[in-house]
Amino acid sequence: MQGGAWLPIAFEVVLLVGALAVLLVAVVAGRDRRFWGPAAGLAFAGAALAGVLQWREVSTSGAGLFFTAQGVSFAKSPMVVMDGLSAFGAIVLGLVGFVGFLAAWDLVAKVGRRGPELVSLLLLSLAGLHMMMATPNLVVIFLGLETASISFYVVAGFLRRQKGSAESSFKYFLLGSLASALFLYGVALTFAATGSLTLYGGNSIRDFFSSTIVTQPGILLAGMALMLVGIAFKVSAAPFHQWAPDVYQGAPTGAVGFMAATVKIAGFAALARIFGAGLVSQVDTWTPIVAVLAAVSMVVGTVLALVQSDVKRMLAYSGVAHAGYILTAMTAGVAGVPAMWFYVSTYAFMVVGGFAVLSTVSGSDSSKVPLDDLKGLVKRSPEMGWLMTFVVLGMSGMPFFAGFVAKVFSFVTATAVPAPWPANDHGYLWLVVLGVVMSVVGLAFYFRIIGTMFSTPDDQAELQEAGLPVRFAVIVSAVITVAFGIVPWPLIEAVRDAFPI
Amino acid sequence: MTVTVTWYLVLAAALFSMGAAGVLIRRNALIMFMSIELMLNSVNLTFVAVSKHLGLIEGQVAALFVMVIAAAEVTVGLAIIVAIFRFRSSANVDELSELRG
Repeated sequence: MQGGAWLPIAFEVVLLVGALAVLLVAVVAGRDRRFWGPAAGLAFAGAALAGVLQWREVSTSGAGLFFTAQGVSFAKSPMVVMDGLSAFGAIVLGLVGFVGFLAAWDLVAKVGRRGPELVSLLLLSLAGLHMMMATPNLVVIFLGLETASISFYVVAGFLRRQKGSAESSFKYFLLGSLASALFLYGVALTFAATGSLTLYGGNSIRDFFSSTIVTQPGILLAGMALMLVGIAFKVSAAPFHQWAPDVYQGAPTGAVGFMAATVKIAGFAALARIFGAGLVSQVDTWTPIVAVLAAVSMVVGTVLALVQSDVKRMLAYSGVAHAGYILTAMTAGVAGVPAMWFYVSTYAFMVVGGFAVLSTVSGSDSSKVPLDDLKGLVKRSPEMGWLMTFVVLGMSGMPFFAGFVAKVFSFVTATAVPAPWPANDHGYLWLVVLGVVMSVVGLAFYFRIIGTMFSTPDDQAELQEAGLPVRFAVIVSAVITVAFGIVPWPLIEAVRDAFPI
Repeated sequence: MTVTVTWYLVLAAALFSMGAAGVLIRRNALIMFMSIELMLNSVNLTFVAVSKHLGLIEGQVAALFVMVIAAAEVTVGLAIIVAIFRFRSSANVDELSELRG
């Protein structure tokens, strides 16, 4: 699998071509979304298909590293990697992207002539996000991160005449750039300490650790810590979550699900790649830090979600708590990758579905969704009401919903590997106990949402009909939430192969 | 007195800290934005100094990539600040308090 192989970068190629095609069709054929919409849909679906092909290739011929041109000093550094992690990530990102795009269809109608720009930004960001997990080079990971982040800054502020949207965009931009700079400084310090920017291959960071005994780890530790902080920012793990509620609340509701879900997928995949695979020899150093981040995220996310009055902010804080549960899985090091994948891939659909329902209730271009908007939703629109109930039950981790299996998987994983600190054979048992307690506390605000939906509606509250694509997106999300809660085994089997090499 | 790579690393760390402090302390959107650019450029200094010290080309290539990214960030960032400035005519971030709860 060397030379002339397009498959490892097929995901990015399809999306970039799609983004250009959408803009071109909009110029040539007209800005009506009927013209360029199919091109965008095809690009998302094609990207998911590319992921499936990659997955098949990896399971038949094995994972591979892909190199730059020969003859320069970094010729031995692989720039692209195709393995279980990147292939599975491509499938999940493609499918979540497709569903998120359908969920944004009403927003596309609202922004009218600017629709093609919005959708091509979504396509570009997805390409960047996959770049983060399909490369062993730290600088390329940064490039992917920025490609996605800069697109998302614009998407968050797409309705620039709305105060909330502009403010959300600005806050996202400022804190996002700060996080990117921190991550990048971490990369630079790791480079200074190890003399390499690649995780695998010749003269790689892994090579360095297998041949060198680090006596003065100061710069290396600083580099690892800064990279971890950068990723924690992006996946909105506490205490680096402050941007999330403001950004989620202010950004156009129709696109928030896409942004929130895909960033989490790529962020955790990059975490698994850099720390789980690349810095695997330093696992005793970083898992205690990840455990502390997980604990703080679960507590802060759950407690602050309890006191919110806006559903978007509530879901943002619930996202912080979920980041904590996912980090719990990652405390097992690379052994936590399957549980991380199960959690993140099911949770991503719940997020997309949840925000899609909110966009039908309060308008896809709304920036605030007070809890009262959901009042009596089950009576006003039984379809949306019940589907939202399933999604919220999935998030809360009720049995027979995917969230429950994901949490159990994550907790079991965290106790399966001996922990370095506090040293014992049962892993991070304290973290799991805290996680169970916080899951129960979290039920309070999830049931507050459900209770509001089942209450008696106000007379005047008439729900506008949601577009067919948006309804389809919600149905898919709810079906996945329920299906993998009742029959989780196919997905559990699949994620067992979704390892980084 | 010879100037070793450590000097550059210390200078870069100092610049980076100043940038980070600027983002956290200053309240003017443009100054905060400049502080972020300072952080990115101190990273560049680190990359180039280490690259020279180790005799590797990777760090210098990385610095080029970072410059391009910084330029892209400027484009989008200034546009966002202008969009906000248009209906607020103030660049003070403390006045951005529409979203809270």
